[in-house]
Amino acid sequence: MNTLSDRTAVFAEGLRAAQGELVACRSWDDVWKHAVSLSAERPAVSPAAYEYLKQGDLPDVNDPLRSIADRAIGITQAQLAIAETGSVLLIEPAPIDRAVSLLTKHLIVAISEQDIVDELADGFGWLAQQPQAAAYATFVTGPSRTADIERSLTIGVQGPSRMTVAVLA
Amino acid sequence: MSASTAPFKVRYQRSVGDPDLKPRLLAFQRSWRESRDAQVRRLEQRTEQSFHELRRDFAAVKDSTLERIDDYIAEFRANAEAAGATVVELSTAEEAVSYIAAICQSRGIDLVVKSKSMVSEEIELNHELEQQGITAIETDLGEWLLQLAEERPSHLVMPAIHQKRQYVAEILGEELGREFDPDDIPAMVASARDGLRRHYLSAGAGLTGANALIAETGSIMVVTNEGNMRLATSLPEVHFVTAGIEKLIPTWADAERQLQLLPRSATAQTLSTYTTCITGAQPGKEMHIILLDNGRRAMRETDTIGDALRCIRCGACANVCPPYQIVGGHTFGHIYTGAIGLVNTTFHHGVDHAAGPQGLCVSCGACQTVCPVDIPLPMQILEVRQRAHESGHAPLWERIALRLWAKPRLFHHLMGLAAAGSGIGRLVGLVRRDHLRLPLPRRLRWRSVPALPLRSGQTLVKSRPPLQPLTETPSAGRTVELFAQCLADRLLPTAVDSAAKLIEAGGASINLPDSQHCCGLPAFDAGDWDTARRMAKHTIETLEGSEHQIVTPAPSCVISMQDHWPCLFQDDPEWRSRAAAVSRRVHDLADWLEGPGRLPDGCLSNGDSHAWTAHRFCQASNRNDARARIDQLVERLTGETARPLEEPDVCCGFGGLTSLAAPEVGSGILERKLACVAESGCDTLITNNPGCVIHLRAGANASGARHHTLHYADFLAARLPKNP
Ligand code: SF4
Repeated sequence: MNTLSDRTAVFAEGLRAAQGELVACRSWDDVWKHAVSLSAERPAVSPAAYEYLKQGDLPDVNDPLRSIADRAIGITQAQLAIAETGSVLLIEPAPIDRAVSLLTKHLIVAISEQDIVDELADGFGWLAQQPQAAAYATFVTGPSRTADIERSLTIGVQGPSRMTVAVLA
Repeated sequence: MSASTAPFKVRYQRSVGDPDLKPRLLAFQRSWRESRDAQVRRLEQRTEQSFHELRRDFAAVKDSTLERIDDYIAEFRANAEAAGATVVELSTAEEAVSYIAAICQSRGIDLVVKSKSMVSEEIELNHELEQQGITAIETDLGEWLLQLAEERPSHLVMPAIHQKRQYVAEILGEELGREFDPDDIPAMVASARDGLRRHYLSAGAGLTGANALIAETGSIMVVTNEGNMRLATSLPEVHFVTAGIEKLIPTWADAERQLQLLPRSATAQTLSTYTTCITGAQPGKEMHIILLDNGRRAMRETDTIGDALRCIRCGACANVCPPYQIVGGHTFGHIYTGAIGLVNTTFHHGVDHAAGPQGLCVSCGACQTVCPVDIPLPMQILEVRQRAHESGHAPLWERIALRLWAKPRLFHHLMGLAAAGSGIGRLVGLVRRDHLRLPLPRRLRWRSVPALPLRSGQTLVKSRPPLQPLTETPSAGRTVELFAQCLADRLLPTAVDSAAKLIEAGGASINLPDSQHCCGLPAFDAGDWDTARRMAKHTIETLEGSEHQIVTPAPSCVISMQDHWPCLFQDDPEWRSRAAAVSRRVHDLADWLEGPGRLPDGCLSNGDSHAWTAHRFCQASNRNDARARIDQLVERLTGETARPLEEPDVCCGFGGLTSLAAPEVGSGILERKLACVAESGCDTLITNNPGCVIHLRAGANASGARHHTLHYADFLAARLPKNP
């Protein structure tokens, strides 16, 4: 069995291979500080992250996507992270849950270090037991990308063009 | 008519006339190979299982699901409907289109945003909806570019891989009304985001495919990279899912297994950026899951073809395919492309659409080696070829040639005449370096025509005394039947004689069965199984008279006897067992020299040192036959080390009749091979299949390459001590 920090190191490696970034944070407060240090624009915050942060702009209930589209920074929270692949698992049943991870330019995903699991199989095992979560669940591995024009890898298409995972000790 | 919907011959001419396509696809295939192999190695290390074990396991999941497909569909339906989705099973493309159109019309929807779905391509949904006043917009960048250019995908995973950036700049410029710098790819990508955003916001429905349908919860799993799929399923009120019934898998654990194989095989990623699982309709919205048959149950009922339903659409089979590299997916496929496209097109779109593309397959077998679900694609393509042949798609010259070939006596007379003609050619100076100097049409000038030697291989063997044994081997004192192979006997007679000498060096004596001719491979390979059966029967009758082991310098004949004969006689138990009794006794020369006639290490070292390298006969290599590794055999016997050759197992372009029917494909693949040979710096190229020797030699001759091309038997026999 990997120790916690070994696992985090594997996770960091997978994330880096997928052009994602990692910051270590001691608290949600650190996550917020990191976010506001990146841009003068006020961060958009998903309902899941808002529970902890109690600040930032929530998407508008009536028009969630349009209300935060192209915001410089978005913050959300992941259920799990997979060391093997460097992925985070986002549980986002409603469009309002999804808006931040869909349309902000730089997405920050917070995850508790103890929620990093070894393998994708662990993540799927968890999902299989959670019918509610499986309503709309996404394993996200790095920022959005395409290689459709002459196979040239371009980061940032319809989704975020930067992604940082904030690992909470 | 767009580049991708024109008749096959037009598409073929266009693609071989495009100077950029070949080098671009070659670069793609090579870089994919490198990163995919690295991914697979890491996976093997982590799981402590081989790729082969991993794929066998997942293939077994697919097989057992397909066997009870109706039960799994019922389970999926019950769970998805309990979660608020509507599940419909539809038989044909028309039904699927009408269903989607009817829902749109009744909800007043006139705009559908689509994420990538091969099934929607299969049923030509965009075009059909257009007829009914409904606009469908592709939101995957590659698919959108195709839509703007009115083209079909040329690859399962990289649909617009054929488009040059200059062309992309042009079509984007036209659509968005501004100029693009072709070298600024990020700007073009960014424009797609802006160009598509308004559609997401105003569409009434979103449509996606599904990489898997998970029965135990009624969930769909979709793997993407761009983020468009999540957008297409977030705003619109209606979500359509189009998927073939073969996408069903029982459990989440199975979905995870599929993910171990899919992104690694598709884009050489550990995991794609977004793996999205959706269960049921979102609150207040509709979800319609369309499970399409469209020929799939018929595939399941067809013996050799059923396994093709395991396909997870990773595109790997195109990424290693030599003809695909030459012509691209618009020619090597119909709507589905690559090896799998040659197979399933017959069932989804009809044999007429498969006939042209399948004719380009060189039967090298590379596709199956990387297929993450181990589909026997090479054999399935030959089955499709037989269907094409039967429905009258074979060219006349080919049918006539095979008829002549099938008649041993006539064949020998014709070859005798050709040999005499070549002899006269030699006298009047028409032969240089063993090839005729003939004025060939431009399409054929890449290969010279070999001049036939006067004496056949069998004559050479019979007209000399047997060799003194060099050493004692288990074969000492035994008689070996030599099967010369029809092609080698007339075009490469020294290889036949050299094979005999190497067998004699191990102490066995040679018998040449009278009236031996052809195992039937050329006809089988051309889809003419009736003729192939006649030829096979002749060979069986010729060889079944004795109990002696049979050796041939042609590994292709061994594959033909061991793999093809059972297919030819599947409905004929008597001939099946007669065929098996013969093929059990057959050995490839390389096997013989490592087995019963094993010559000792270094016994053929004569102090000579050549700069040699080895091309391994692709079909044998791709079946993972140890016999393919002739470089190791030659190194062991001569003590001389081979020069490293890039892509030693990639086809040389001979491909039986393919190189005659589609000369540009044969020459394109040959060019790739000869470039690697030149790179190796060798002066001698050896290989193991007579057809490859002849092809590589004729190509080298025409291109003025400096190296010699030899069958390895000739290379080895030249090192035998001369008889006293
Ligand atoms: S046949 Fe095999 S290699 Fe080809 S696309 Fe399907 S799964 Fe991939």
